[in-house]
Amino acid sequence: MSELIKFDGLKDMAALLELLPERKKRMKQASAEPQTGDAMAALARALHPDIQRLVIADVRQEAAGARVFRLVPDKESGTAAPAVFRAGQYLSLKIDISGVRVARPYSISSSPADAADGGFYEITIRKKDGGFLSEHAWKEWRVGTRIEASGPAGFFCVEPLRDARHIVGLAGGSGITPFRSMLKDIVETGADVKFTLLYGVNRPDEIMFKNDLESFAAQAPDRISVHFVCCEPDAAWCGPTGFLTADSIRKLAGDPAGKSFFICGPQAMYSFLETELKQFDLPKRRIRREVFGETADVSAHPDYPADAAGKSFSMTVHCGSETTVIPAKASESALVALERAGIAPPSECRSGECGFCASILMNGKVFVIPETDRRRLAAKKFDVFHPCSSYPVSDIEVKVPLDKG
Amino acid sequence: MAEGKKAKLGGACDVVIIGAGNGGLAAALALAVRGAKPLVLEQHNAPGGFATSFVRGRFEFEAALHELSSIGPENNKGGVRRFLEDEGGVDIDWVPIPEAYRVILTDSGMDARLPFGEAPFIDAIEEKVPGSREPLTRYFALCREVSGALGLLAKTASNPSPKRIIKDLKKFVAESADPFDDARRNTSNVVTFLRTLPKTVDEVTLKMGIPPKAVDLLYPYWCYLGIPMSRMNFTIWAAMLIDYIDYGAWIPRLRSQEMSYAIEARVRELGGRVEYNTRVDRVLVERGRVKGVVTASGETIKTSAVIANTSPTQLYGSLVSPASESPAAALRNVNSRKLGGAGFVVYLGLDVSPVELGVNDYGYFISKTMDTDAVYGSMEKLDLVDMQATICLNNAIPDCSPPGTTIISMTTLYKPGVWDSVKPKEYAALKNRIADAMITQFDDALGTDIRSRVEEIEVATPATFARYARSFNGGIYGYELDPWDSIIPRILSEKDESYIKGLEVAGGFATMGHGFSSSLISGRSAGLKTLAGLGG
Repeated sequence: MSELIKFDGLKDMAALLELLPERKKRMKQASAEPQTGDAMAALARALHPDIQRLVIADVRQEAAGARVFRLVPDKESGTAAPAVFRAGQYLSLKIDISGVRVARPYSISSSPADAADGGFYEITIRKKDGGFLSEHAWKEWRVGTRIEASGPAGFFCVEPLRDARHIVGLAGGSGITPFRSMLKDIVETGADVKFTLLYGVNRPDEIMFKNDLESFAAQAPDRISVHFVCCEPDAAWCGPTGFLTADSIRKLAGDPAGKSFFICGPQAMYSFLETELKQFDLPKRRIRREVFGETADVSAHPDYPADAAGKSFSMTVHCGSETTVIPAKASESALVALERAGIAPPSECRSGECGFCASILMNGKVFVIPETDRRRLAAKKFDVFHPCSSYPVSDIEVKVPLDKG
Repeated sequence: MAEGKKAKLGGACDVVIIGAGNGGLAAALALAVRGAKPLVLEQHNAPGGFATSFVRGRFEFEAALHELSSIGPENNKGGVRRFLEDEGGVDIDWVPIPEAYRVILTDSGMDARLPFGEAPFIDAIEEKVPGSREPLTRYFALCREVSGALGLLAKTASNPSPKRIIKDLKKFVAESADPFDDARRNTSNVVTFLRTLPKTVDEVTLKMGIPPKAVDLLYPYWCYLGIPMSRMNFTIWAAMLIDYIDYGAWIPRLRSQEMSYAIEARVRELGGRVEYNTRVDRVLVERGRVKGVVTASGETIKTSAVIANTSPTQLYGSLVSPASESPAAALRNVNSRKLGGAGFVVYLGLDVSPVELGVNDYGYFISKTMDTDAVYGSMEKLDLVDMQATICLNNAIPDCSPPGTTIISMTTLYKPGVWDSVKPKEYAALKNRIADAMITQFDDALGTDIRSRVEEIEVATPATFARYARSFNGGIYGYELDPWDSIIPRILSEKDESYIKGLEVAGGFATMGHGFSSSLISGRSAGLKTLAGLGG
């Protein structure tokens, strides 16, 4: 065909034209019903709802000054059932506190079956953890209080295609909450996994969920074992003592080789355990930890520009077609400054991870904690930053996204 | 919440673009460089649609892009690169893909690595299947003629009609005065184009005398269009094949997210606006004319022009408001067309280098067989599909992950509807089961052990694509490219099938078909058409 061929206008045009009648015919024969349904959009919404409107159905006192809040769908507001989740995930709770809208992530302490079959989530909040929302929850939340939550989020989950068959959980303080969900899930699903939980506390009375955890171990003795490790034991304490260290971990969980380690606890525990676990010489894939949460004192970071500490800056904020100028303290994340000013961009993890609050830094400088900088490479190139994990170190001008509202 | 939010976007504008995917961004760019001030509304929190990336641990994964066509090197830019760089002033660091592909057919044991460039490509096939050279050389000449004529049409057919196309082509033949342009002097170019236009790929290819095993090595790109060769229109196939083999394939260094952020930044620099977390729920139409859009938060933005980076199925099925403004002809149009494949991707961050793993190529097509009907058939079941298109990013960008690590992503397709019955409760286990089987599929084909080196894993399903890109039914492709619904019939029908004044479609469902490059090109032309409408 690539030889010179004479152009035969009529014949060749016919070839071209024969497609059009076929097209017209097919369209004529087709239905004129609009396709309004989209099963994948519906599945996506069920798995990842933008908003879950929940209501507190029960408040239970847990040991160590913690309260367990049971959240059920607020059916009057249109949420029919709690979205399914994977043990270890969190909900970002969005609360108006005296006119300021804040969002904070809380690990779900109940199990996936509790949500799927029982129709509820539980989150557990310790009063002593302080913070804007914790205090508010203790003071204001009671049965009947309405709570707005994100869909389940986060990546602190056991993944069979990645993790070892034997998991060692290292929990500190209120970092026990996702582990309660994981252990309950293992009991309820019969998952083919071994889980050794080491729960470090300062004092015996700080242990949360003691009965629950012991009961999970008793129900699946071949798969679950739980050890409480206490720093400052009282006279009645007969378990292991001290910090969670390489030695105590090895003693209680056995040879670390071939096991996956999951860590959730206060920030100090992460840095301490990082050093301890180095002694095991494990590949990186064997150590998982929950995200930091907001950093308590950013100026303590070795890379923090010292001259910014303690200062206060101005922040010019473009949001939609509006521009406002607000104050921003060096010691607080840009997201906190935005929330204080009543501008609440979407946010979930508050740890730099999820990207919901991603904004554009048009002018000025922010300090981003390198350890929590989970921005994409291209985001950095094009001055995109995550306000939740960025701290102003000069006057700044930013463009923040609208909330879905 | 809704109170006090309602006028946040400013009330009115010249052009609203729904969706900051490839098509929407390209449309915004084409408009912005010509002085218009488009408002782009995107439901997600970043630009790109499928042109995005995400971070897990110490890895940043490419979400969707395998390779872009029509980019080419600095000294021989393809159409997409010329649009983005020369016309749009967008700065992207392009990286060439080292080879066309490695194809492994597990039933027959065929395993070949094919380079770019026609001569090396044919050499490599000849080496595996002696006797292929002569028919393949003829085949490439034929594909080149078709591709050349299509390229010409894109330049000349300003107001296409069958008559106009014939006229343009005749004129093109008559004016073949350029002594350096062999293609122009060859009238067969036009004839070949016209005669193959109604044909499928199989109808043309299988008559060329190419040994069947060589056809197997020639066909892998079929999955980029996702319709079996017994149905795929030859014209678009020929154009795609020639584009890849001549220009090579390219990716942005910082993932496709670099491209989308770069276009977005340029659009803003030129005075356009891009707003995130802003879903458009309705396109307001009155007596066949666009009047505005309504966002999910209830804000109405008045406009006379909307470019929808979405499927016409969604557009006419649920976005046009009131529903009575969706013409029956438009609904019949979208219902007559077949939705393309929905995506399933396994992203792996491995704690071992590609060399240690024995994964030395960028792009792998691993398939049971190259019987494209059979493979397409396997996409109908909620199970392991017979084929995966897999890339190892490190083999194009060695430092895309930390030293001693590897990024691999495996993609397959499901036909629309296959995932419809999946319940939220069984979803996680299902996607893991399929991901598990795809890892085995890869390890078995290559004799590697990626399974035991997984440091990060993420799995995207049709529901994931529906969630982040809001693609209809989780589709990652537009309408299937049967001959009657391929590019030329679409071009010729554009006038007849324009149903609402001021409304254009951009992206994978538009005239040029799906794929990153096609979506960018169609976005550009949607921008130009809209601009013409605004001026007139």
